[in-house]
Amino acid sequence: MAILEVNNLKAYYVTHTFGRSSTVRAVDGVSFQVNKNEIYGIAGESGCGKSTLLKAISGLVKPPLQILDGEVGYNFDDERLDILSLRDDRKRRKLRGARISLIPQGSMSVLNPVRRVRKAFEDVIYAHLDVSEKEFEELVSRHLLALGLDWTVMHTYPHQLSGGMRQRITIALSTILRPDIIFADEPTTALDVVVQRGVVQLIKKIKEEQQNTLIMVTHDMSIHANLCDRLAVMYAGEIVEEGDVQSIFSAPKHPYTTMLLDSLPKVGDSSARVSAPGAPPSLVDPPEGCRFHPRCPHVMERCRVESPVLNGLGNGHRVACFLQEGGK
Amino acid sequence: MKNGKLLAVDNLTKVFTKGQGLVKSKIEAVSKVSFDLELDRPEILTLAGESGSGKSTVAKLILGFETPTTGSILYKGEPIANLKGKKDFMRAVQPIFQNPFETFNPLKKVQSYFHETERNFTQTSPGQYPLTEKSLQLVGLTSAEIKDKYPSEMSGGQLQRASIARALITNPSLLIADEPVSMIDASLRMSVVNLFKTLKEEAQVSIIYITHDLATAYYISDRIAIMLRGQFVELGSVKKVLDNPLHPYSQLLKTSVPAPDPRDRWTEDIALSDLETKEYTRKGCKFAGRCPKVFDLCHEQEPDHHAVDDRLVKCHLYA
Repeated sequence: MAILEVNNLKAYYVTHTFGRSSTVRAVDGVSFQVNKNEIYGIAGESGCGKSTLLKAISGLVKPPLQILDGEVGYNFDDERLDILSLRDDRKRRKLRGARISLIPQGSMSVLNPVRRVRKAFEDVIYAHLDVSEKEFEELVSRHLLALGLDWTVMHTYPHQLSGGMRQRITIALSTILRPDIIFADEPTTALDVVVQRGVVQLIKKIKEEQQNTLIMVTHDMSIHANLCDRLAVMYAGEIVEEGDVQSIFSAPKHPYTTMLLDSLPKVGDSSARVSAPGAPPSLVDPPEGCRFHPRCPHVMERCRVESPVLNGLGNGHRVACFLQEGGK
Repeated sequence: MKNGKLLAVDNLTKVFTKGQGLVKSKIEAVSKVSFDLELDRPEILTLAGESGSGKSTVAKLILGFETPTTGSILYKGEPIANLKGKKDFMRAVQPIFQNPFETFNPLKKVQSYFHETERNFTQTSPGQYPLTEKSLQLVGLTSAEIKDKYPSEMSGGQLQRASIARALITNPSLLIADEPVSMIDASLRMSVVNLFKTLKEEAQVSIIYITHDLATAYYISDRIAIMLRGQFVELGSVKKVLDNPLHPYSQLLKTSVPAPDPRDRWTEDIALSDLETKEYTRKGCKFAGRCPKVFDLCHEQEPDHHAVDDRLVKCHLYA
């Protein structure tokens, strides 16, 4: 069953300066579903709209970000919610943290540098639960123990901790209320390989123990390969390919996905790799037709004028490319 | 005095002191590091390791930004300390930094960096910048592409290539590239990495490539040094070290690189590392706290570099 349904979501950044308005079409007509209990990956390069998508589906919409169209529906066990139509901000806040939660990129700026880690836990827990101090300590220490962290981290300031440790604390903070859905936004970026492996290991463990749904956003295809069940590849504000991880990695259908996978070097293989020509387009003024056409090696006349839609190929694999339509 | 060496680093140690008075503590950021680069045979040497392994400190020491506590760095037989601030040295050894968006001042046009470098190091007539054009060509850009542009108007890949082109104006013999591709998107990353390969082959530039990404290291470098807490734990040809790592830490590092293949996932769990400072001040082998093959001697005595199979391994297992 789909726990999250996103339909034709359009989230734009609209700014007005000196009477001139400019629109960044960061998420442009995105639809997908995430099933209960799966790990769903969203891949794409910087500026492709993956973080904006995450903001929109968790209801963190503040100007200049605007939702122009679409719906984001959550099917929890006991209720169905459209987060974008929730007018009351308090209701959204109740939802976040307890039912949906975000693991941010664990940089220095996530935890308040002048407050001890304990304060961060107090903020999260007292906002949602009515517990005594003793219950609070019990809850936190049980959770920290499960994550292999020591109680002493509660008394530290963020600068006293290494990057990997801080990331583990943000994970602990995001998962302590056992949310139904966890969004992870680049949780392993800027970490060393060994620490990164530890963090992936931790996220997997929590997901298995709490039986929740995980949406993993990162540009790192290797992390997706290691963790996800299904994967969506975004390019310039749109999903260009979606399918289960095995089939995307073994037989990518969209030229962008193919290119992205081909450019990855591997230890033990020094055969020549090339980058795609050009760079991702600006979302203020994306190219006509298929947004990938200026960089695509298989570009046809049709691609320059018409935009392809995300079409199913069977087995849940969907691709937005005319190559897959032309009777192949 | 060593002859025939472009760069000779011998027993290099850098100690940083933290705190004052009674709470003073010392951290050996770089500890007894030695390596050479040949003068007539350009090569790409990778320094790989986690953050806090001292790899950037090595770069800063070579560039003369920091002074070594002990040990020496000779550039073409001359100690770096004597060369620091001299134009010839600055011309020959050029840095490339991690984040191209921070390398360039956002309020200055990109071309101004080129023109400034060219004015500083060569005698050009005003308004004429022939070397700018030439070095841009080497990295696959044209001066029309950077003309009148601010850094924010260029992509990360373009900007990093511009940063490399700027370094090439002086016709250097050694580039120190500190994590040059970690901020660049995957689809553009290889354009920069391939560029290093071309530079080595065509412009005869030696490169010290500092990274934590073993996949690109394997792809471009000739030799690799795996660093842990300031020390070289394994040094040798990249094919040998990464195909068949000998030091337990190199082995852990290699298996921790995620493979871009869903059929090849991590299955074993690993021990998470201690606090960094604990490892720096550890007696004996720095890896002893996490090593799966640890034995008593490791906690007591620091291992020497042992020559095994054409490489140096700092581990008691190979004594």
